[in-house]
Amino acid sequence: MRPDLLTHTVQNNMPIRKAGKLQDFFADNNRFILVLLLPVVLFFLVLNALPTMWMVGMSFRDYSLISATKTAEFIGLDNFVYLLSSNSVWNSLSKTFTFVFFGVLIETVIGVLLGFLFWHSTEMTGRRLALTLLFSPMILAPIAAANYFKLMLSPNFGVINYIISLFNNGKPIEILSSVDYAFWACLFVDIWMWTPFMLLMTLAALGSVPKAELEAADVDRLTWPQKFKHIILPHGKFIMMLGILLRTIDSFKTMDLVWGMTTGGPGNSTELLGIGLYRVAFSSLNLGRASAYALITLLIAVAFTSIFLFILNRKNIEEGLSK
Amino acid sequence: MKKFVAVLLVTLMLFGVVVVSAESPLAGKTMTLSLLGIGGWKPSSLAQEMGQELFALYAKENLGYDVNVTFAESPFDSLFQKAATSLASESNEYNLIISDSQWLGALSEPGWIVPLNDVIAANPSLQVNWYSESASKAYMIYPDGSNNIWGLPQEADVLIMYVRSDYLTNPDERSAFAEKYGWELPTDGSNEAWEDIDFAKYAQICEFFTRPDEGIYGTTIQYSKIYDFLTGSLYPYFWSAGEEVWDAAARTVSGTLNTPKNAEMLALSKSMIQYCPPGAIDVDISGIVENYSTGKAVTAWQWAAQGADMVIDGVDTWGVILPGYRMEDGTVNRTSSLGGQPWVINAFNTEDEQQLVVDFLNWWYSYDTQIEFAKRGGSPLITEVLESEGFEDLQPWFTAYKYMMKDGNSKDFWHEPSYAELLAIQQEAWSAYMAGSDGSVETAQTVLDEIAALQDKVISK
Repeated sequence: MRPDLLTHTVQNNMPIRKAGKLQDFFADNNRFILVLLLPVVLFFLVLNALPTMWMVGMSFRDYSLISATKTAEFIGLDNFVYLLSSNSVWNSLSKTFTFVFFGVLIETVIGVLLGFLFWHSTEMTGRRLALTLLFSPMILAPIAAANYFKLMLSPNFGVINYIISLFNNGKPIEILSSVDYAFWACLFVDIWMWTPFMLLMTLAALGSVPKAELEAADVDRLTWPQKFKHIILPHGKFIMMLGILLRTIDSFKTMDLVWGMTTGGPGNSTELLGIGLYRVAFSSLNLGRASAYALITLLIAVAFTSIFLFILNRKNIEEGLSK
Repeated sequence: MKKFVAVLLVTLMLFGVVVVSAESPLAGKTMTLSLLGIGGWKPSSLAQEMGQELFALYAKENLGYDVNVTFAESPFDSLFQKAATSLASESNEYNLIISDSQWLGALSEPGWIVPLNDVIAANPSLQVNWYSESASKAYMIYPDGSNNIWGLPQEADVLIMYVRSDYLTNPDERSAFAEKYGWELPTDGSNEAWEDIDFAKYAQICEFFTRPDEGIYGTTIQYSKIYDFLTGSLYPYFWSAGEEVWDAAARTVSGTLNTPKNAEMLALSKSMIQYCPPGAIDVDISGIVENYSTGKAVTAWQWAAQGADMVIDGVDTWGVILPGYRMEDGTVNRTSSLGGQPWVINAFNTEDEQQLVVDFLNWWYSYDTQIEFAKRGGSPLITEVLESEGFEDLQPWFTAYKYMMKDGNSKDFWHEPSYAELLAIQQEAWSAYMAGSDGSVETAQTVLDEIAALQDKVISK
């Protein structure tokens, strides 16, 4: 209840209570809103903004966990120069973009296809069970899924490799130890985990399509591609874009899944940005350079988000222009 | 005169009784000794196990106080972070830390751990006659060449080899091997039987026993990218060939690490992957235990400290010395990687906690405690213990352990505060080389050149 309402009387004959200082303070609606926002703002400042600012400052300094009492010397852009001239970082960037591109693309395609399969299929036998099973990978902890697949892919006792060996003259394939296969195995598990998310978003997008318009399209005998282009896509595309945006950001920061499966190896064939950053911070213990690494990663993530937000907001912009 | 002597004797006796029965400053108190060590690592867990079981009893009976020994743990690759972040906040959360020998510089430079020169001088029990001078220095001294003592050996360790004796003593296997290679397999696990085994002969043993169709492989060696696992199993090749990994005096890596001989050794190490069970380049310490204990590997390069996990019921095992490099004069030179961890004392302990830690260490280095440690699978470094009668019979791997711990038979990594960066550079590069399809010496040389250049940059900072 708003504080100014506290001073109202409920019966005509009752005297109006005199407002206290606190009530006077809250009488201003804007002030009240600010006070309500204060905990969130404080939370954001203490746990988000300040550490980020600290990280930005640290990225220009030479600071290692093993020289904790030494002065963190200001070294300008040295950390950035080192990172941007490092083959290892460019390799991680390349791997990450490949991982994001193929991961999100395949998850979206399969998710959309499955979404259409389950759309308007309330009569389908076993629909609920199928959807529950399909969604289950998404709710697993990535590290658990990683270990699960690591064991199944083991060339010594993994069930997947056992099946492979049946078709390969009894020889298993060293999938996670191979520079040729390890990356794609990690990508496969990511797709296995997150395709259900895109299925969920597709179902939400399709649910937002007005039934009346679809019925009208049926009456007008529109073909399926026409229905898709003129009715389904305009209504569903923003939810789908939101899904793709969320998956892109999430995929970009993948770390635990790949760490659990290969720890970035063999060699550096699965070393995504998150793993590279972890190594600089917690293997090399160079926190200055790790901060620069994190800042570069953050800027790329912000760029991604901006592009997607621009696309998402395009509808409003277009509507604004047409008015 | 007699009277004077009698009075003197009585006085001395009384003084002696007073001294002997002097109570510990902690008498009557209840203390908690908090240890931090390596998760899943027998010698670390033995410290807590023996502390809680035996030191608590000792403290109660001899020092007059109660003590509860707790143990926090972390895997090898994250233990330093756990210790350093706690110490950086000046916390006394961990009173006594099982460190790694390479960390002494990193922990002592910021003043996080107690310098031990005065502590040792004041406590005769800590003035130990160490079995290996080079090993004890690795665990205790920083910087190299100084007299600054920062650690005490919690357990010593060295890379040795575990061998399935049932395969090597099988008459059919022996005759088939002799027929194929023209020499006899070692007859037992003694040092003498293995002294002539060089890398070339060892490769023949591995080749002979590698039978993928039967699910058996010649060896299992750590090639994992995590922490120092690959480095630990690669250095014996370099050192045995008489090479070094850096010039500590000149503080340079280029010209020392990237020699043609080291490149040859790196390529040789990679070539051994063909004799390992599938998934070799991901194999870490636990992977070795798994490969060996499940019967996939006939030999295994593993730390002596893991002996208790390697020697299991139903598997006949010898603990033997590592193969070596045959020098031009025909002798076989072998230098293994030194493992093991030192104790370091938290500088932010309270006065009572410091006393407790010193009491614990005094107890830890007593002969009886160290013998008990050895019986339970730990690796002591005290000369009186290693030279005691029957020591080598306590564990099947102790003969090899004792031999490889001798001065000159094992070496430690760099003792540099920047060790973490140095290690990360070479672990990544060597892991990539091991995983790649090109195992040539030329490529190995390029890899070493790149590592040397990057490490020089780190060291020169």
